[in-house]
Amino acid sequence: METLASRLDPNAAAFRQNDAAQRALAAELRDRLAGAALGGPERSRERHVGRGKLLPRHRIDHLLDPGSPFLEIAPLAANGMYDDESPGAGVIAGIGLVHGRHVLVISNDATVKGGTYYPMTVKKHLRAQEIALENNLPCVYLVDSGGAFLPRQDEVFPDREHFGRIFYNQATMSARKIPQIAAVMGSCTAGGAYVPAMSDETVIVRNQGTIFLGGPPLVKAAIGEIVTAEELGGGDVHAKVSGVVDHLAENDQHALEIVRDILSTLPAPQTAWTPAEAEEPAVDLDSLYGAVPVDVNAPYDAREIIARIVDGSRFHEFKKDYGSTLVTGFARLHGHQVGIVANNGVLFGESALKGAHFIELCDQRGIPLIFLQNLSGFMVGRDYEAGGIAKHGAKMVTAVATCRVPKLTVVVGGSFGAGNYSMCGRAYSPRFLWMWPASRISVMGGNQASSVLSTVKRDQLEARGEEWSAEEEEAFKAPIREQYEAQGSPYYSTARLWDDGIIDPADTRRVLGLALDVCANAPLPETSFGLFRM
Amino acid sequence: MENRVLFDTVLVANRGEIACRVIRTLRALGIRSVAVYSDADAGARHVREADRAVRIGPAAPSESYLNIGAIVAACEATGAQAVHPGYGFLSENQAFARALEEAGIVFIGPRVHALTIMGDKIRSKNHVSGFGVPVVPGIAEPGLSDDDLIRAAGEVGYPLLIKPSAGGGGKGMHAVERPGDLPGSLQTARRVAASAFGDDTLFLERLIRTPRHIEVQVLADTYGNVIHLGERECSLQRRHQKVIEEAPSALLDPATRARIGEAACNAARSVDYVGAGTVEFLVSAEAPDEFFFMEMNTRLQVEHPVTEMVTGVDLVEWQVRIAAGEKLTIAQDDVVLSGHAVEARVYAEDAEAGFLPSAGTIAGLSEPTGEGVRVDSALLPGLEISPTYDPMLSKVIAWAETRTEALDRLDRALAQTRVAGLRTNVEYLRLLINDGDVRDGKLDTTLIERKLPDLAFRTATDAEVAAAAVVLSGAAPAGAVSSRREAASPWHSGDGWRVGGAHAAMPVHLAVGNGPARTVLVLRNGAHSHGAHSVVDIDGRRFEVSWLAGSGETEPLRAVVDGVTLDARLTRAGSTLWLTEAGWSQPVRLLAREEVLEAQLSSIARSEGAADPEVRSPMPGTVITVNVSDGDLVEEGQVLLSVEAMKMEHQLTAAVTGTVAISLGPGDLVSANQVVARIHPQPSDGAEDSAAAGSIPPEQEEPAS
Repeated sequence: METLASRLDPNAAAFRQNDAAQRALAAELRDRLAGAALGGPERSRERHVGRGKLLPRHRIDHLLDPGSPFLEIAPLAANGMYDDESPGAGVIAGIGLVHGRHVLVISNDATVKGGTYYPMTVKKHLRAQEIALENNLPCVYLVDSGGAFLPRQDEVFPDREHFGRIFYNQATMSARKIPQIAAVMGSCTAGGAYVPAMSDETVIVRNQGTIFLGGPPLVKAAIGEIVTAEELGGGDVHAKVSGVVDHLAENDQHALEIVRDILSTLPAPQTAWTPAEAEEPAVDLDSLYGAVPVDVNAPYDAREIIARIVDGSRFHEFKKDYGSTLVTGFARLHGHQVGIVANNGVLFGESALKGAHFIELCDQRGIPLIFLQNLSGFMVGRDYEAGGIAKHGAKMVTAVATCRVPKLTVVVGGSFGAGNYSMCGRAYSPRFLWMWPASRISVMGGNQASSVLSTVKRDQLEARGEEWSAEEEEAFKAPIREQYEAQGSPYYSTARLWDDGIIDPADTRRVLGLALDVCANAPLPETSFGLFRM
Repeated sequence: MENRVLFDTVLVANRGEIACRVIRTLRALGIRSVAVYSDADAGARHVREADRAVRIGPAAPSESYLNIGAIVAACEATGAQAVHPGYGFLSENQAFARALEEAGIVFIGPRVHALTIMGDKIRSKNHVSGFGVPVVPGIAEPGLSDDDLIRAAGEVGYPLLIKPSAGGGGKGMHAVERPGDLPGSLQTARRVAASAFGDDTLFLERLIRTPRHIEVQVLADTYGNVIHLGERECSLQRRHQKVIEEAPSALLDPATRARIGEAACNAARSVDYVGAGTVEFLVSAEAPDEFFFMEMNTRLQVEHPVTEMVTGVDLVEWQVRIAAGEKLTIAQDDVVLSGHAVEARVYAEDAEAGFLPSAGTIAGLSEPTGEGVRVDSALLPGLEISPTYDPMLSKVIAWAETRTEALDRLDRALAQTRVAGLRTNVEYLRLLINDGDVRDGKLDTTLIERKLPDLAFRTATDAEVAAAAVVLSGAAPAGAVSSRREAASPWHSGDGWRVGGAHAAMPVHLAVGNGPARTVLVLRNGAHSHGAHSVVDIDGRRFEVSWLAGSGETEPLRAVVDGVTLDARLTRAGSTLWLTEAGWSQPVRLLAREEVLEAQLSSIARSEGAADPEVRSPMPGTVITVNVSDGDLVEEGQVLLSVEAMKMEHQLTAAVTGTVAISLGPGDLVSANQVVARIHPQPSDGAEDSAAAGSIPPEQEEPAS
């Protein structure tokens, strides 16, 4: 198998420019993550801790095995939304190890607006549950939430993918033998009461956790009964009288220890495949910063990325000399056999056929796919349309959509147009999707969009015999470019859960390795078609 | 002497360092050695070093090392013609000596006659005083009145001590400085003795102030030749256990040495002594020319090496030769004392914690070597030290031309002693031999107790705790990775990785030495490789920890904290990390999650009284038994009463510890949820005084052995 080597000169000006620019973007990412990780305002956090409660991230730290990594999902959700009053959308979700097994944890952050559910909170919670479902991960809910954020009830309550879906998911996952465990460590009001109630096994913290459909104010208003929260739905009531919970804990640490004990009783997970021994890449991972330009329009060889993330930098390339704007091939990553699909320019018909073939190949062999997405789209123009690029693209999209092996997508550059679909964008249900800080995502680039729209407008104006000056046209185009610029940012994307998070390029190998281990928890379904040579 | 007159095979009826030491000489003499061992000692060093080894029974000494039948059988099984008993165990046991005699096996030691007389403290004193050996003046007869005692006091001499006949351990003793004080003190002493022991019989004895323990080594053959090999001073004792011994004594001048040596020889002659023996004397520092016989130890002493080092005589060799019937070829004039030797006993004990015994498995070991340094040791890496046997682990002995040089050399040798895996007294020994009075030779048997409170024991520094936290939380180079497969997975990096490159601060709960539990934060745990840096936060101060290249492989791990190499070595043993430096050792133990949680929960329970003090019947029924009485102190979980309902018996237990209030009796009917008993929880225990009762003045009590 070929061992990839870098063709880049680390002393070249371009390399050093890339390096500085990528590092600056990575530093910005770290700053934003650190900011969001704090949670709610300092006063709320102090009050929370003052009550003897652990902060939500500390709860997770206590729950997980010491030193366990935590593969967090969408830590920058709701970034820049709701006047930035909901950092991380008020909930922390991710995967960690408990007793050596992967567990999905969803922890409300009561320091953020009382842990109430904003629209993005619901979306993040549902996305986390989807990850648990797809990867067969036991779910642990660390509940401390006032329920739906009432001012936005129309965006969180009624629809299919809204609050009720959380409990639907709990029921259906439980039916598929995916354990649902809850620890009530604070409020658990109204709809929220169903999180513990719908769980397989539940813990509550005495004098701290409460579960009720209607809180004391509502009870007083509705039936005139005056009752304290603890009397109404405290730990003693639910552990000794109602039977809503199964275990009574004295404090957060105790509750988390009980959750660990519960998880230790689960049957051992089966893995769909077993990775081989891992090996560091032969090309220094850290030099990734210098290898990749921050300008998504600047061309570079996708093999420079592959060389830095796969075991031993070894890559068995498939159809190297055909459809060369798409790089396909086999490698190992942290010991896992993977098929890599990476863009090396715009997609032509041949590239799409090659992609479809390779994806089918991996599907036949049960090899997980990694998409390194960086493309402006499919090639346009008369010759290409006549050559049937639409149907060739459709083949690749079909292969991506229907293959049963786990798919992992990293948007390393541009993600524009139909290229997003063929390269396993969000709509194609990759098990995970991450973006790099310099990446861009939109239906097309800002320049193209403003040009397309101004061309349409000019045609209309000219048809009516009107004049359109260059200044007027520029004034028309500028806001369009700005809009695309803002909405194409990975931070805009990750705020809206279009992805599972922005990652530092230097973490790509680790994150993919963590995710591949997670993916192995779910069995692979059988394929029922032979391979179609394209 | 030709070896052919010696034995072919000798069994060593002992364990530990003395067994190893005897085997060494046997080997040098060309004699086959046989070790005996209990189940607990199957992996012990003496078993490995002997030519043959015989299992003699379970761990309990009474069933193994004190089991005469088993040892005689081991001799017969291995063809041993003689037995070296070492010290302790059966070394002074007359029954053992007789059993060997009957089996036709030579006991390497004195004859039964000497054992019998010297084995009785009172009889031996009376016996030797008849041979001109001075004993502490006193009067000890039953039924003496105050007047009788006052009359006798003049002959006893002042200062004197009034001792109750029935007392022991220093209890009820009264010191009297002047004759005028005697009548009053006698009255008091009688009253105290009568009330404390129910017997007001009193004796008088001369009070030896600032007593020093000086003993003389003797050798006697079967032909009536008796020589002495000078004295040893063993005044540094703690609770009758010798700690530091030296030869010669700084107190004696040559004339006194000759006199005390002659007295020792006389004591030996008085019982037709054969072999090596030690005659112990008490000498007052205030009057060093006066000495008083205390007892004779009819065996090899622990501290014999200091004599060997200043005389050049191998005492074990002479024991064997004499037992084989050889004649002493050393005359008294041949014995020349050269230089000075000091021995320090290394004990498995935690000096800082009031010398509590310690136990554990030797996780790391290095013992000193070098010119003028001798180590008699039974230590081995991996050896388990159980509390079943004597806590002495080894002896470090240093010799030099002068006493000061010998102490310096001993200090260096102790500093080279590294024992990880259990607490030892080595740090304490170093503090002790560097004490000003010890250096000046101003010793007495009360010095150790007197100086103990002022000793400054070292505790682990924050930098050392930081390094320990990194090792114990799992990212040190040594042994953190359990398998290659696991290391392959980024899930098993153990570094608490978080998205964005941050690492979860890992709280690590540690018990450092004898201190309270501490929580430190491991902010970043470097990878499993040398050169990887970890960051630890202790009370807001940050420490950057890495590892000295190459350490942790064949030698103990060394940490580099904030760029400076720590002097202490790190040895991990399970969840405990041992810090060792210059004789000092301290364990840093990682507290398990359960331990930390339990401590938290019990503090919640104390502050809130969490458990329900009311005991309720879960269902209507009839009381069938009541196991406690009203007002009893009950333990958490204790069964209080049984209620029968639905033909089933239900036991109701106490949820908390406390005083129970219960008024029901058998046959009483109870309803569901009825309170059947109430428990008044016990107030949390005050600081329990675990320290032993007041210390006993060691003077004029049983001497150490």
